[in-house]
Amino acid sequence: MDSLRNILVMIELELRRLKHDRTELYTRAVQPILWIVVYGPIMSLVKAIPTGSIPYTDYITPGVLIQSTTFVSIFYGLTIVWERDSGILKKLLVTPASRYATVIGRSMASGVRAIFQALIIVPVALLIGVRFIPDITYSISALLIIFFASGGFAATSILVASFMKTRERFMGIGQAITFPLFFASNALYPVGMMPPILQEFSLVNPMSYIVDAVRGLTISGDLANLPIDLIAIATFDATMFVAASACFKKIIE
Amino acid sequence: MEIAVDVRQLVKVYEDKVRALDGVDLAVEAGKVFALLGPNGAGKTTLMRILTTQLKPTSGEAYVFGLDVARDGAEVRRLVSYIPQEMSVWTDISGYENLLIYAKIYGIPSTKRRGIIEDALEKMGLSEVANHLVKTYSGGMVRRLEVACCMLVKPKIMFLDEPTIGLDPSARKVVWKELASFKREYGVTVFFNTHYMDEADLYSDEIAIINGGKIVKLGTAEELKRSVGGEVILFSLEVNRVGEDCLGKVRRVSLVNDVIANDSELSVVVKDAETALPDIMEVLRKEGVSVKKISITKPTLDDVFLKYVGTRLEYGERISEVRQVRDMIKRG
Repeated sequence: MDSLRNILVMIELELRRLKHDRTELYTRAVQPILWIVVYGPIMSLVKAIPTGSIPYTDYITPGVLIQSTTFVSIFYGLTIVWERDSGILKKLLVTPASRYATVIGRSMASGVRAIFQALIIVPVALLIGVRFIPDITYSISALLIIFFASGGFAATSILVASFMKTRERFMGIGQAITFPLFFASNALYPVGMMPPILQEFSLVNPMSYIVDAVRGLTISGDLANLPIDLIAIATFDATMFVAASACFKKIIE
Repeated sequence: MEIAVDVRQLVKVYEDKVRALDGVDLAVEAGKVFALLGPNGAGKTTLMRILTTQLKPTSGEAYVFGLDVARDGAEVRRLVSYIPQEMSVWTDISGYENLLIYAKIYGIPSTKRRGIIEDALEKMGLSEVANHLVKTYSGGMVRRLEVACCMLVKPKIMFLDEPTIGLDPSARKVVWKELASFKREYGVTVFFNTHYMDEADLYSDEIAIINGGKIVKLGTAEELKRSVGGEVILFSLEVNRVGEDCLGKVRRVSLVNDVIANDSELSVVVKDAETALPDIMEVLRKEGVSVKKISITKPTLDDVFLKYVGTRLEYGERISEVRQVRDMIKRG
């Protein structure tokens, strides 16, 4: 009960921070919007990527959305590094809140940020003509998947922050994680087009499962893989929550 | 007598190399204000972080109100409040919101929350700026907000790591005034690390000097000062010379360590000037020596530090370092 309360408090903290300053969300939205508004339509003209009956821009929209929310989550570790430098983490670790509640709470707080990020990008996609499945249950399910998946990535970033203790190192490792995940996933092209070694990698790449689930719920309507996707996301989240919580104390040592 | 902090042979070695604590023994009575003085790298912060369950000791034992900090961490955390050296509030939300978040973390019931927060803000003189973003606060206001945060839960013991470092003298005074009134009201034990001799001298009931990971001296400020060797009472006399007989009688007064006569001046080295002075005056009066002026020179904590640590406490550089970190944090 206490742990659930503390997770919710961390989410509330994030909402309060967003209430005061949303600049980061807007600046981080620029890149994904360029993918959808510039890259998507240009690549559609080439018609080099087989996306079946789905227009190419529509096909990449869930991928770009997940990429941008993953970026937000992976770089959430920077906030944690900042809080380590500032002393806040030391103070939090001396409160009765458990490490697990603190780590999961902070991770899910990043999920909140990710949802707001998605809500900035979706209207732009709608404006340029991306057709989402008009089903509110599907849309809410997709947002929930983004929320929980982002929590997993934020936990990954907290884990990384426990070892990379300076912002500069963290920035480097953050880039080194996100781009391979993005390019070795089904975000921009079907997995079948990749070289065999990357196809193997995409099997263990959580982003592939997240993109597949969100694409099924928002664009293609193909939910055949949804149970596997959900199991993969849940496994990823659970692993990262446990690993990040176990290493969390290292961050202040 | 209840013991708030009990530390026995505590050792902390970082990465098998740096011996930050090298067998610390310490007992702090409940309800007291305890100051830990020491140069940089002496082990002050390490000791505090072990006592607040952030770090595990390499060996030895440490108890807070009888609870083992290494084993009963969760219980210890329910009793303590802690202010780290750097800053422990979020600068991108308001002061009120910071207290609200911490109040929720500590599980203060929603019906009482608002009252407790407003009370803490008022006590710390922050009511007017409660809804401003913390990044607009001055250093002193941030520290007061952190103290307000500690007050929310009425802890049994407060651990303050350099609570006023980098603040200007008037801001330091305000912080201490509020801490003192909080302590009076709730009888909380205060354990603080400091670089400021005057703070240890003025506000603590007991002081420990730590150097090289060991407690090198422990006692009240007065005891520590006396341990340096004694105080000097300087008498300016109406006469030009004092007879040997009279000097002998002054020497025999209890607490007197030494007597040096120099023309019309008489220097008496004593253990405790306030207690010895009436007896010495009595001897001089009986011997018919009239006194024009008396001055007492007492050793300061600086002298104490010099004696036990071997250097004067340098903190100019440290303060500017902390100020830089704080400014960086405030900019976000």
